[in-house]
Amino acid sequence: MIDTAVRRLLQSIPVLIGVLILGFLLIQLSPGDPARVFAGAMAPPEVVEQIREQMGLDRPMLVQFWAYLERVLQGDLGRSFISNKTVASELGAAIVPTLELMFACLVWSIPLGIAMGTLGAVWRGSFLDRAIMAFSVAGVSLPIFFICLLLIQLLGVKWQLFPFIGRGGPLWTLEGLRHIALPALSLGLIFIGPVARMTRSSVLEVLKLDHVRTARSKGLKERRVIIKHALRNALLPVITLVGLQAGYLLGGAVVTETIFSYPGIGRLSVGAILSADYPLAQGCILVLALAFIIINMIVDMLYALLDPRVQGK
Amino acid sequence: MTIPADIENTPPRRQAWWRALMRDPSAAVSMIVLALFVLGAVLAPLIAPHDPFEGTRSVMQPPVWAERGDWTYILGTDGQGRDILSRLLYGTRLTLLIGLLSVGIGGFIGSFLGLLSAFYPRLSPFVMRFADVMLSFPAILLGLALVAIFGPGALPVIIALSIATVPDSARIARSIALSVMQQEYIEAGRAIGLSDTAVFTRYLVRNSISAIMIFMSLRFGQIILIGAALSFLGLGARPPAAELGMMASQGRDFILFAPHIAFIPSLTIFIIVLAANITGDALRDVLDPRMRS
Repeated sequence: MIDTAVRRLLQSIPVLIGVLILGFLLIQLSPGDPARVFAGAMAPPEVVEQIREQMGLDRPMLVQFWAYLERVLQGDLGRSFISNKTVASELGAAIVPTLELMFACLVWSIPLGIAMGTLGAVWRGSFLDRAIMAFSVAGVSLPIFFICLLLIQLLGVKWQLFPFIGRGGPLWTLEGLRHIALPALSLGLIFIGPVARMTRSSVLEVLKLDHVRTARSKGLKERRVIIKHALRNALLPVITLVGLQAGYLLGGAVVTETIFSYPGIGRLSVGAILSADYPLAQGCILVLALAFIIINMIVDMLYALLDPRVQGK
Repeated sequence: MTIPADIENTPPRRQAWWRALMRDPSAAVSMIVLALFVLGAVLAPLIAPHDPFEGTRSVMQPPVWAERGDWTYILGTDGQGRDILSRLLYGTRLTLLIGLLSVGIGGFIGSFLGLLSAFYPRLSPFVMRFADVMLSFPAILLGLALVAIFGPGALPVIIALSIATVPDSARIARSIALSVMQQEYIEAGRAIGLSDTAVFTRYLVRNSISAIMIFMSLRFGQIILIGAALSFLGLGARPPAAELGMMASQGRDFILFAPHIAFIPSLTIFIIVLAANITGDALRDVLDPRMRS
């Protein structure tokens, strides 16, 4: 498992470097003075001078890139053009809401997707199976903003069941739960499809294997065979799917947060890009990329932990 | 030399999969729907009943089937009094164009790399490591980064989506090409003294291309969804152009009184992507019998 972690860490280095280059370019290409960009719009001239010297703007690009790396690795991402707060503090405030949204989305959509996929595989070819598969194809074809708008129109405006603007507080409070309901429902709906499809094909594969036949011939109840012998083994690819689909989920979160004015990283990045707040946009992209790398690393390690065959390699 | 009977009687491969495809009703319907949308998009300037960019005084007209609707504006008008049907035709044009260009450019570069790495196995590790690295960079993030650098617009979105298409196509093209390389005619081509270039273009590319194209079609729906999402966020296509995601976003402000303004373009994207996905799935089932359900 440690091998997997190390290999994964090494593999993510080129991606990290690429992301850092993009972040560096963002600051370099921003119109105006990069030292001003880093100091913030309100900073006094002597601070700007100091940063200019520190950044070595007269020195070659590579040296400047190195200086940029040093600052970023120390957690210094500059200041937002708009709010003049440090980018790090803006990001810090947005991370928890986004994590809550991810949790609130996955906690219901993954189990439901697995259940639907398993039912489809067990009653393969039945009406239920076809309905579930049609639902998942429709799910992966729906634009996420369409789901959000439909839910706002129906559950928010017409039936007035849930609020659809902003965050109500931490997840464990009633207001927090009420506010997160619609965003989490929207985001979960696009995720059920891939999970159900993957579970179905994976269970179908496992049902063909010898150990399932052995379990059946031992006279075990069908339900026990499915849950203990088939589903358990079929879940491995589903775990990988979560990693593979992290980008898909991330894109969905960016749109969902923006529509529901939910104060997470996704909405923060769109706002930063639209208002040409380069330091903040750079910070958001670095954090999103880092999150993506970490998710994939965790998924790989989980996989190694759960599948003994991987450990030997 | 006589031709063995079973070869003579086998229909050409292309016809075989075409027929199998048409036997599947949902695939046939999807392909017809797709064809209609493409036709509408291509003919938009000719068939649009009104100017898609010019506003009128009849703001937020409901579609014809609603209570106050009339036949002048079949799908109603938007918040600026522009005819939704005309904008829909133009919007489909731009949405499809962004999708096609991205899948086309990214697919071309990726496939070329994949084919090359199958042809020259020594190149393979480099191309595949490169694809691995790129694959771990989600399309939406690439889109956000490029738009942040170059500013919102259709072009940065197309570039980002093209780059995001490269690694997948490289992998798929390589695996297809590897099986083509096993065929005897490749060896035969070499044996009669053809140059590498000739074997590559005449034998490898020609025999891999249709399978690669089919896998690209599977990718098309997802790319359209990401492009529309970026436009919805205001990061893609810019006004005054019409794009489906952007139209949905403009209709968002009127969701309380005139939901059709946002729902009609959203529904259009859904139908296009659904048709593309069903077609792609059916094509794959026909071509790859192991995955047939």
